[in-house]
Amino acid sequence: MSAAAPLMPEIDFAYDDLPDLHDVLDALRQAGPVVPVQFHGQVAWLVLSHAELAQAFTDTVNFDPAPGYLERTEESMGRTLLGLTGDEHRITRAMVAAPFMPARVRQYVQPLIEPIVQELLDRIEGQEEVEFVSAFTRPFPFTVITRLLSIPVADEALFLKWAVKLIDHPWDPDGAMEAKAGFDAYMEGLIEDRRHRPQDDFITMLVQSEFEGRTLDNERILSLFRLLFPAGSDTTYKNGGSLFAAVLSDPAVRALAAQGSDADRAAIVTEGLRWQTPTALLPRMAPHDAELGGVRIKAGDWMLFGITAANHDPMVYKDPRRFDPARDNRELLSFGRGVHFCLGMHLARRELETALRLVFERFPALRLTPGKPVEFISAILRGPRALWVQPYGGSESLSGVS
Amino acid sequence: MKEVVNVTFRLAGGETVILSGETGETLMSCAVANDVKGIIGECGGWMACATCHGYVGEEWLSRLPPPSDQERAMLEGCIDVRPTSRLTCQIILDATLDGLSVAVPASQT
Repeated sequence: MSAAAPLMPEIDFAYDDLPDLHDVLDALRQAGPVVPVQFHGQVAWLVLSHAELAQAFTDTVNFDPAPGYLERTEESMGRTLLGLTGDEHRITRAMVAAPFMPARVRQYVQPLIEPIVQELLDRIEGQEEVEFVSAFTRPFPFTVITRLLSIPVADEALFLKWAVKLIDHPWDPDGAMEAKAGFDAYMEGLIEDRRHRPQDDFITMLVQSEFEGRTLDNERILSLFRLLFPAGSDTTYKNGGSLFAAVLSDPAVRALAAQGSDADRAAIVTEGLRWQTPTALLPRMAPHDAELGGVRIKAGDWMLFGITAANHDPMVYKDPRRFDPARDNRELLSFGRGVHFCLGMHLARRELETALRLVFERFPALRLTPGKPVEFISAILRGPRALWVQPYGGSESLSGVS
Repeated sequence: MKEVVNVTFRLAGGETVILSGETGETLMSCAVANDVKGIIGECGGWMACATCHGYVGEEWLSRLPPPSDQERAMLEGCIDVRPTSRLTCQIILDATLDGLSVAVPASQT
């Protein structure tokens, strides 16, 4: 373990809310591209610069994420894609990728994603004020996953309980293993059903998938399903909250979201992913002794991949705090880079773009509640603490529509 | 010693741009460095994002090494796939590709 002393030792990046995270990161940037900070009471190497982070993401020899993920999560999560290396990863990823590819994801928008958005917005109808994270941005991506997995609505609550508990293993191992048993038994039933009675759906695509002569066994499919919730639901919901906060704060961006083209909304979503990245600092464990950005990192050291810091690196992004959908965002690191690049990227983008389009169609006067400013919190999974909105603008306009 | 490799991109809107790439770089990185709209390459060139799909000029197809299994699998999932579809991150420019032409799919713009 490294002997370096953490900078800003009054901050623990695992626990502190850090509403001023970007000021903190800018201050740390003065000390170098990779700096020691405190995380869970230990020292972690925080990667701040875009160049070093891109290097760390793509150097899967020196910074292979698999050993660290297996050590921390294998018991409850199994060998997920993040715990696989080399050919085993390449082949498994190729087999599970089909339902996440752009052509397929485009087919989910109308029959699956749009109805979920409308259902959630139905529940907002008629209300003067709602907390938009709990009413919309949190349930939305979770429901997309449960519907993709063909979970009946009646079982969604049970599923949420299991999914939350699965990743709670470090704090409640028995609870997590119990959740795993319930989750696996339930999903294995659906997988076996599709093996015998194929349908045109997500699970069938996986059971029929074949690459270089290999197919997926039930455990491989289950390990993908266990990963779907933390990878695809928590991230997208945090980002959805930040996105709407940003769009509602800027009249020009809001007008573009409401009246612009699909390409305009895609650009707004991309800038939202950069401006307030949900996986702000991604915890990793260094598998080997290595050097990065002039510091020596030892095997077993914690690292924090500073995705949100890299996405605000002034060497790459001019005036990085400004929300500007017109900027060139091709160097975005929000979905990672390299062989472990986020498999759900296309799905996340289509969800967020669809939400932007439909929310303003249904509630063209939607606004942030005056006097309730939005505060973004957490350095790990970052998003608004709360997002109070008025669907019909000021209360005086409610009577006119009901 | 790097040599210049000229590449023509036809954008989704019909406009044509001629770029000077270098031997050894990928077609994707040449496009991104020159701001070719619609070639994104978000994963950095690791066949993991399917955002650098392009249509290679038919006369060039046979001069390129064939796609790997992994590239083929990724291409299957792209939008509006044609027989000339390739991931531009998998095409490494060399002197024999001077004059290469590529069209950008409308779906990526």
